[in-house]
Amino acid sequence: MDFLYHIGVLFCLYAILATSFNLLIGFAGLFALSHAALYAIGAYTTAILTTKLGLAFPLPLLGSVLFAMLLSTIIALPALRVNGHYLVIVSLALQIIVLQVILNWKSLTGGTDGIGGIPPYHFGNLVIDTPFRFMMVAFIALVLCYCIARVLIRSPFGRALRAMRDNESAAQAVGLDILFMKVAVFAISAGLAAVAGSLFAQYFSYVSAESFSINETIYILAMVILGGVGNLRGSVLGAAILIILPELLKFLPLPVDIADKIRLVLYGCVLMAVLVFAPQGLLPEPRGRKAMWVSPDGGDDRTDDEALLSSEGGKRDEIVLEGRNLGKRFGGVVAVSDFSISLKKGRITGLLGPNGAGKTTAFNLLTGFLKPTSGQILLHGKDIARKKPHELVDAGVARSFQDLRLFTNMTVLENVMVALPGQKVRSIWRLFLTPMAVRRREQEAMRKAMHILRFVELHDRAYETAADLSYAEEKLLVVARLLATGAEVLLFDEPMSGLDQTTLHDIFPVIRKLAEHGKAVCIIEHNLDVIKELCDEVFFLDEGRTMAVGKPDELMNNPELAERYFK
Amino acid sequence: MDLVIQLLLNGIVNGSHYALLGLGFGLIFATTRIVHFAFGSIFTFGAYVAWFVSGYMGAPIFLGLAAGVVVAMGLGVASYVGLYQPLERRGVSPLIPLIASLGLTIVLENLVGIIFGTGARTIDAETSIHFLGPAFFTSIHVWQVVSFLLVCVLLYLFVNYTRYGKAIMAMTDDPEMARVIGIDTARVSILVFALGSALSAIAALLVTLKDGASTHMGFTAVFMGFVAVIVGGVGSLRGAIAGGFLLGLVESLGLWKISTEWQSSIAFIVLFLMILLRPHGLFSLARR
Repeated sequence: MDFLYHIGVLFCLYAILATSFNLLIGFAGLFALSHAALYAIGAYTTAILTTKLGLAFPLPLLGSVLFAMLLSTIIALPALRVNGHYLVIVSLALQIIVLQVILNWKSLTGGTDGIGGIPPYHFGNLVIDTPFRFMMVAFIALVLCYCIARVLIRSPFGRALRAMRDNESAAQAVGLDILFMKVAVFAISAGLAAVAGSLFAQYFSYVSAESFSINETIYILAMVILGGVGNLRGSVLGAAILIILPELLKFLPLPVDIADKIRLVLYGCVLMAVLVFAPQGLLPEPRGRKAMWVSPDGGDDRTDDEALLSSEGGKRDEIVLEGRNLGKRFGGVVAVSDFSISLKKGRITGLLGPNGAGKTTAFNLLTGFLKPTSGQILLHGKDIARKKPHELVDAGVARSFQDLRLFTNMTVLENVMVALPGQKVRSIWRLFLTPMAVRRREQEAMRKAMHILRFVELHDRAYETAADLSYAEEKLLVVARLLATGAEVLLFDEPMSGLDQTTLHDIFPVIRKLAEHGKAVCIIEHNLDVIKELCDEVFFLDEGRTMAVGKPDELMNNPELAERYFK
Repeated sequence: MDLVIQLLLNGIVNGSHYALLGLGFGLIFATTRIVHFAFGSIFTFGAYVAWFVSGYMGAPIFLGLAAGVVVAMGLGVASYVGLYQPLERRGVSPLIPLIASLGLTIVLENLVGIIFGTGARTIDAETSIHFLGPAFFTSIHVWQVVSFLLVCVLLYLFVNYTRYGKAIMAMTDDPEMARVIGIDTARVSILVFALGSALSAIAALLVTLKDGASTHMGFTAVFMGFVAVIVGGVGSLRGAIAGGFLLGLVESLGLWKISTEWQSSIAFIVLFLMILLRPHGLFSLARR
């Protein structure tokens, strides 16, 4: 019987590991493959705290969690600046460095001998020294860790993570602090892995570096991928399958050494087979209503656009955002050399110019995606040239992208909700301490998001996945998402391109209404009819400099500009 | 001073080993953009096959080399056709082949253990020791450098003077464009997997002669190849060579000040710093 309980314990440990790993790779899209190293740090911290300092539960566990979180934060700050396969390789290297430190710091870790004699848990008179008792403890830990992960992913924080995974720059553009989110999710994932590590040390009463090799990371990775990335239940299922399956090998008469290798071959094969044949894994990521935490309480049919578009005082035509003599060079290439623009409250400003004139670069400068090499950017007279994109969104400047960059794996509603202010989720503790308040705010956010969707007439598509929208609907969602940021300056990069006449006339009034309600709107546009129809003022940009400013008609009748434009 | 000369010499010898790995790994990476992590375990496979033929069966070394190269090429091509190509066809994110490659790595690494047994494996070969002032080197060291140079010359001729070589270079520049102008990119990919794996088997045999083989050797090998490529700048074969030598020298000269048990960490720390500070390689600016 003990054998079964032993498997039960292993299942609990790996389910915790797989769940926490899924937070990182499945929800945040960060393939930082150093999970076994974090697991090791949890195990070693507990081993050292119990044997060297004689601490008893819960201190070693807390120590493990806090130390792993601290260390992962320090590691994450540089490592998470890189993406894609660089992150994979850096994190694998990191895993090796951690193991080398463990092996070489003999006075603390015992080197290759490891640390033995870790006492079991004592709860009063109850000693957790049988597999059955330990299984109970591990199971409680699993339930707690799973609940923490579940609360996180269904919260605004989880939504922001998924947005970041879908498109990092778009997530920045709706005001999310990417670096904070990456570090936070890495630290949380590390903390949960350390729980498993601490349990490991207390259960086996012995730790050695061998147990935490890269193979271990790949093993956990196989569980997550098999179960389905972005599905927490999948991770538990994946852990169960990959723990139980190899135990069946024990019924074959194989030497232990060979059986162990066959086990690893099996994991590797599972990993490859899932990726090739069933990339979603056993349980796909929940979509649509299932992915939402709260459901809208219907019955809300306010059509009070004033409230939606509320803007703080200020007079129409007051200059809100101003760029002065902006320059940007990339190495020797000058993209923008002398660009000046001013955007006025309640006005629609057009940015016109031939291809390669530097229009999108100009947008990138105004919204913090690029830092200007010279010149000033003023928001209500204050210099903002050094601010990051997400800080600018908070300050009131937001932009859209020419290539849309929707969060394609999220619902239409979620796309809007994630852009609302107050989704920054700085305080993750609050999710656990005041869940009801968070829930209330979620409901409020959802009402507001529905309201915005109604404004652009996309409300009946709220629960569709953004990837399933038509092109025109995608464009409307871009507007809705931008509007949701609550910014007073809205910069649209070609919001109408590729739309037919009828749809164009659907979107015109939306943009006009934005200006009427006091937003400063700027659009990049190629279609001169659109410019004529919409814009109050046009800045003509060519060769990286502002060539002319004026009413649309004036500029269009200027033969020199016309020649530049149509050359 | 004597120590420095010895370390310098070791650095050059190790450097040519790393440069060879960098060439093999870099050829595959630059052409197909696949981070072929299983390169390491194919390297291990090559070493064990060579050991089996030359060390265990006692056949001449060149037969061991030939067997190692053939098996490695077979495995390399099989991993492209069987694993990466289906993924590419589905148009998955470039990360997925890397993750799959990790799975392939543990499969191959453990298959080596199952087929050939674990434990260190050595090939007995006649070696002579030579002295250069206060420093010494062995004939195997000489072989490492000579075979690296030979590979360089052959690869240079192949890449510059044959149709397929030019196709490889075209794909390195721009895979999409190469496809547009009618290069059969799948075939070129198969070719680079074969070539890169062959290079890994050559490096594997030499290092087995020098230090013996173990089932874990592949892991370090693929990392060294990767570091060489990153240091030299992705897409540049010359860069991979320079990166390999630089890595060998840094690692070896590092011993001057750092104790031996940390030697293997040096490369990983170099890698860590490189990716963070200069992800496009040390020479990236010079090339543009």
